[in-house]
Amino acid sequence: MDHIRNFCIIAHIDHGKSTLADRLIQRCGGVEDRDFRDQILDSMDLERERGITIKANTVTLPYTARDGKTYELNLIDTPGHVDFSHEVRRSLMSCEGALLVVDASQGVEAQTVANLYLAMEFGLTVVPVINKIDLPSADIDRVMEEIDRDLGLDPFESVQVSAKLGTGIDDLLEAIVTKLPPPKGDPQAPLRALLFDAQYDSYRGAVLLVRLFDGTLKAPTRVRLMHSDAEHKVEEVGNQRLKRVPVPQLSAGEVGYVLAGMKSLAGLAIGDTLTEAERPAAEPVPGYREAKPVVFSSIYPMATDDYEDLTKALEKLKLNDASLIYEKDASAALGFGFRCGFLGLLHLDVVQARLEREYDLSLILSAPSVRYRIVLNNDKEVWVDNPTFYPDPANIKEAYEPYIKASIMTPERYLGAVMELCRERRGVETTYNYLAAGRMEVVSQLPLAEVLFDFYDRLKSITQGYGSFDYELLDYRLGDMVKVDILVNGEKVDALSQLVHREFARPRALRYCERLAKKIPRQQFKIAIQGAIGGQIIARETINPFRKDVTAKCYGGDISRKRKLLEKQKEGKKKMKMVGAVEIPQEAFVAVLRTEDEDDE
Amino acid sequence: MRTTSRTGAGVMHEPRSSAPGLYLHVPFCSTICPYCDFSVMRSASPARERFASRLVVEVGLAAPAWRDTRPFDTVYFGGGTPSQLPPEDLARVLAACRTHLAFATPAPWIFLEANPEDVTHEACAAWRGLGVRTLSLGVQSFSDETLRFLGRRHTGQEASAAVETALAAGFDTVSIDLIFGLRGQTAEDWQLQLATAVSLEPQHLSCYQLTIHAGTRFGVQAKHGQLPELPEDDQATLFELAHRFLADAGWPAYEVSNFARAPLHQSRHNRKYWDHTPYLGLGPSAHSLSAADASSPARRWWNERGTPRWEKRLAAGERPIEGQELLGPKDLAEEALLLGLRTTAGIDLDSLTTRYGVDLLSANGALVTRLTDEGLVVVRADAEGGRHLVPTLSGLAVADGLAAAFDLTLPN
Repeated sequence: MDHIRNFCIIAHIDHGKSTLADRLIQRCGGVEDRDFRDQILDSMDLERERGITIKANTVTLPYTARDGKTYELNLIDTPGHVDFSHEVRRSLMSCEGALLVVDASQGVEAQTVANLYLAMEFGLTVVPVINKIDLPSADIDRVMEEIDRDLGLDPFESVQVSAKLGTGIDDLLEAIVTKLPPPKGDPQAPLRALLFDAQYDSYRGAVLLVRLFDGTLKAPTRVRLMHSDAEHKVEEVGNQRLKRVPVPQLSAGEVGYVLAGMKSLAGLAIGDTLTEAERPAAEPVPGYREAKPVVFSSIYPMATDDYEDLTKALEKLKLNDASLIYEKDASAALGFGFRCGFLGLLHLDVVQARLEREYDLSLILSAPSVRYRIVLNNDKEVWVDNPTFYPDPANIKEAYEPYIKASIMTPERYLGAVMELCRERRGVETTYNYLAAGRMEVVSQLPLAEVLFDFYDRLKSITQGYGSFDYELLDYRLGDMVKVDILVNGEKVDALSQLVHREFARPRALRYCERLAKKIPRQQFKIAIQGAIGGQIIARETINPFRKDVTAKCYGGDISRKRKLLEKQKEGKKKMKMVGAVEIPQEAFVAVLRTEDEDDE
Repeated sequence: MRTTSRTGAGVMHEPRSSAPGLYLHVPFCSTICPYCDFSVMRSASPARERFASRLVVEVGLAAPAWRDTRPFDTVYFGGGTPSQLPPEDLARVLAACRTHLAFATPAPWIFLEANPEDVTHEACAAWRGLGVRTLSLGVQSFSDETLRFLGRRHTGQEASAAVETALAAGFDTVSIDLIFGLRGQTAEDWQLQLATAVSLEPQHLSCYQLTIHAGTRFGVQAKHGQLPELPEDDQATLFELAHRFLADAGWPAYEVSNFARAPLHQSRHNRKYWDHTPYLGLGPSAHSLSAADASSPARRWWNERGTPRWEKRLAAGERPIEGQELLGPKDLAEEALLLGLRTTAGIDLDSLTTRYGVDLLSANGALVTRLTDEGLVVVRADAEGGRHLVPTLSGLAVADGLAAAFDLTLPN
């Protein structure tokens, strides 16, 4: 066990985490140069493009240190967003150490601090790494000061590297071996293996990535997943190099993969513990939390013909994204689609982007919603995450909405703005603590629904990028929700209905009406666009009809041209959605359903 | 403001003639107007003489296919500027037509487009001698400033004089073309133009909203933002002003842009375009339509647009046809819809059913009710009990949009 080091790299976005990982992999000969591509751990195109890691990845690197011994370095990559904090936690839990990357010219930033606290929460040994020392703007002395002052770490423990040029990588590998502790665990004890990630392989099905805390694991042991209570027979265990390399067995302290004949990721819960069916452990690895969808939205294909394709795409996506849930949905305006549940807004974003890119689909997404608990007059309880199914208010006794505990890190100078943002978003019991000089943590209990819309963007903007944000679900609390409908010429556009707090109903309705009015072209009739709560109109916009729409001349040579134009126009109309005899172009739905606030100039 | 005034009401129409019309395109102009997208060219007199000879050749080549049709009862010299072709050349062309094509007796109604600067007592006498009954004058405006902006060579004074000369020459119909909707044009200015035209008492008026075509000088300027378009509401105001003012003055509209003192003066040639009466077009860019018969569907074809190519093909002894399309019942019905909605007679619903098998009202009942409520159309019975879908003034102003709103469910 002494020759094993399990570690992760944590960094503020853009501080060079992926490049650093690339360099470590190359130095350890984990990959042939000809197979090498940048951001090798980010396997999705989307990750490469956005420069973020969505899905964790793991690689085992053999390293012969200066002491002559060969070590097994397990680099456990972590996804970089709050939506996946659950996965981040599982990844961190699998490590004993973390490399905390700080950009040599940017210095310590908000996320660096948040990451440090997270790593400390899991008791990881942290080695600061100052990256990008090759940059002309690098200011190593200042960054070392910040590491001391803002992070409370020993700056002289830090390693200076340029991941881009490969400078300092050998020193870093030595630091991993000498400064990070080896794992502990009892190979003789009953098996306890933490499932910290799972991938889908089109040939082998589910590939489980595990960290063994106790015991050993080999084929053909029957293992049990302690939380989901399912049993499987292990077919193969091995090390996750850049390719999978089978080994006879995995032992306490090690990280590796398990194949157990599972056809998809369905039913697999990250954070679950594998144990031996014959000789189960007494307790699973602590910290398990079910990944529940908290954000819901309906996805429709732009062209109704694409419904079949969307169905297939979701089925495939589900194979390697167990946290995505969906069911059939239908809208009068947008046709058939799916009601989907997501872990958070980024998850939603990622699913949408993957459907659009990997499956070449054009989509319309309805306004994201949380799940409400409604108690009816007859004391029956219903759960509603789709405005379409919101009960008649007359039948509602009480409505409850989910609250989160938000933890916001911010430099002290933005404290007022952050407190104000929490207040605006109906935050209660907002408090703050001093973390270190000039650095604060604001804790607030917020309705999740208010965080769905641009909360993170607003936080970034009011703290000039320094604010970071994490949350956990708290409970359900009594709320005053109303269903806001959008009507076009008196007819409800079901896809645009949404549940909002009464206080925000009018501004939200107004914004929707304004955006629709901008995007629906003039037609032959006056078009009334209204926002309504039940029968009460709370917002209104009008689109005046065409007054002049006729060409001046129409003689011998003009007629064919005019007919063709007309045919083209009618073809275009087929692509529009009809509501109340009004043609609504797809762009109008897209524009209205964009997340709030990114525009309206 | 939406208006429900019905310009169509009370306007009489000449009975429809099913005899074909003949269109002759003369591409020459003394200057090229910055808004014009017709097939036009500037050239010297030898070229014009050669052009007339080529046109004579084309008449001979086109004629055989028109032997069995009814005799032509209209001949329309359009352009370009037909008045730029000397009367002798016009006579030559007409003589060839008379030789090769069947002409109605005693004579077809002949139309000639002319520029005011070409209108003299002598020219008028010559044209009258050729049998021209409608002289259509490209006045465009009586304002010198506007005329300069439009690149025209005449002044307002000269335009008025030309109209008076033409009227004195005894044509059955003298028509004035006006352009409105120029940048910054006010209702007052437009009304002044209309009043000036009316005071001259022509029998016919055409009022065209300035249209910016890509590829014209105005088109290029507009593309670079140097020619701001008149806002839609102002366009509508000027359009409705023309219709109201002229109807009150005694020149009711019979089409989007055309107004006549009496049904007799309506353009019986242009009406053939609007109701699918066959026509033969000769000269560069001219379009032709032949009716469907037992063996073939209706067909529209068009000549080479550029005069040089048109001449070249004729010189090689070929018909200068550039392209054609066959028109099935669906195409014809689409056209009948868009063309009918441009006229104050509206769409003859029964004829739509008998000619193209389309029952417009049953497929669009809700739409028609709605358009009626909005004051855009009315359904009216004529003296014989035939039903017409007639656009109101507001409807005429948005005729293109109306046509697009209808669903043509067609028999296969």
